[in-house]
Amino acid sequence: MDDDSSPDDYGKFSLNEDWTATIIGLLLLGACLLGLISADLIP
Amino acid sequence: MSRTDASGPAPATTSAEAPAAPASPRARTGWTIAGAVVVLGLAALVQLLTDTVPEATAGTWFGDVAQSIEYPIYAIALGFLGNAVLSLCGVRDRMNAAFRTELFIKIGLVLLGATINFAIFVKAFGPAVMQAICLIAIVFAFTWWFAGVLGLDDRLRALLASALSICGVSAAVAAAGAVRAKKEQLAYTATLVIVFAVPSIFLLPWLASLMGLPPAVTGAWIGGNIDTTAAVTAAGAVAGEQPLQIASIVKVTQNALLGFVAVLLTLFFALRVDRVAAAAGDGAAAGDGAGTASASGHKPRAWAMVWDRFPKFVLGFLLASIVATVLGVTVDPAVLEPRLDAAKELQVWALSLAFVSIGLEFTVSSVREAGWKPILVFAAATLVNLVAGLGLAVLLFSSFQF
Repeated sequence: MDDDSSPDDYGKFSLNEDWTATIIGLLLLGACLLGLISADLIP
Repeated sequence: MSRTDASGPAPATTSAEAPAAPASPRARTGWTIAGAVVVLGLAALVQLLTDTVPEATAGTWFGDVAQSIEYPIYAIALGFLGNAVLSLCGVRDRMNAAFRTELFIKIGLVLLGATINFAIFVKAFGPAVMQAICLIAIVFAFTWWFAGVLGLDDRLRALLASALSICGVSAAVAAAGAVRAKKEQLAYTATLVIVFAVPSIFLLPWLASLMGLPPAVTGAWIGGNIDTTAAVTAAGAVAGEQPLQIASIVKVTQNALLGFVAVLLTLFFALRVDRVAAAAGDGAAAGDGAGTASASGHKPRAWAMVWDRFPKFVLGFLLASIVATVLGVTVDPAVLEPRLDAAKELQVWALSLAFVSIGLEFTVSSVREAGWKPILVFAAATLVNLVAGLGLAVLLFSSFQF
């Protein structure tokens, strides 16, 4: 298959983005639950 | 779901865009940072409008309307406005890397998990799985059949059927990998998904309200019908807190089934479509990748593919819900609630960034190039999805108690 028409590069990147979003989301939640980020700090 | 989910198809150059010239890495970074500033600025404006417009217009003819406008509407409208302005200035495509709808939506959904009691998950999981399996089967079968009647290529049929029945662009991306579709077919399908999803964000909550559907049924209908997770979340947020919770549970259940459909598609194309095409000596129909999609090559990888395609943010969504539920019974509410309020504020910010990005990255250019047949397939299958989804939502979620 011609590399130019392969959709595989989309799939490869999706894994990284999925984990990135999960980690960022959990870190933000953890920071809120620990009281490191309070509602007053958020505009 | 991937970067492609965020951007939909590969960015198309509009007539107002400057001719594409190779940019240096430094210039690309500069444009991406500029794009991020635009997204953040528009999201801040969304917060400002949501906070101030109802108060400022109270007592005027617009006051009642302003009270009912939720933040996703401001965000999408401002995104489209920003899209038009940046396109006119010829810089939108250069900033495209910053418009990360799917990244923002997944972060927002993980944070949303903390607002959903895990007991609701447990109660909604059975009906959500039932609805997802039935809807995926009905919509996939109809789309595959109707696209075949219109004579579309098998690979495009698989992409359209996956996108419509599972979860929009991410499903199309997974299906494209499974059936070795071409990038143009993927870009085209992705654009159709976005074109159909954006009006649904406003239409479905309005129709649900018109029909007087209960919150759980509204959420299940929205989650089962709208293709992209971002648009489901936007429509759920427009419909209200409880519809948003059920819509997100239904949608992540569909997302979680994506890997299984990808495996089935891979096997179907390897064992049937490509083999039949190869036997007929039809190299083009079999696709250049037919040889690599052999059944023997993929069978042992079936479970690996299920995991590969499993949307990992669902794990974060579940974990957030479990943690918040456990803390809810072990920590003093006076301590916990302000902290969960902060997480909720961040969730609204993440979702605002995602909804602004929906408007900013919207493009219809590849739809114009692909002809009317796939549009007809998409429209017909969306109608089938609406009717079947409503029936299933009423059947499975009418008695749901929060």
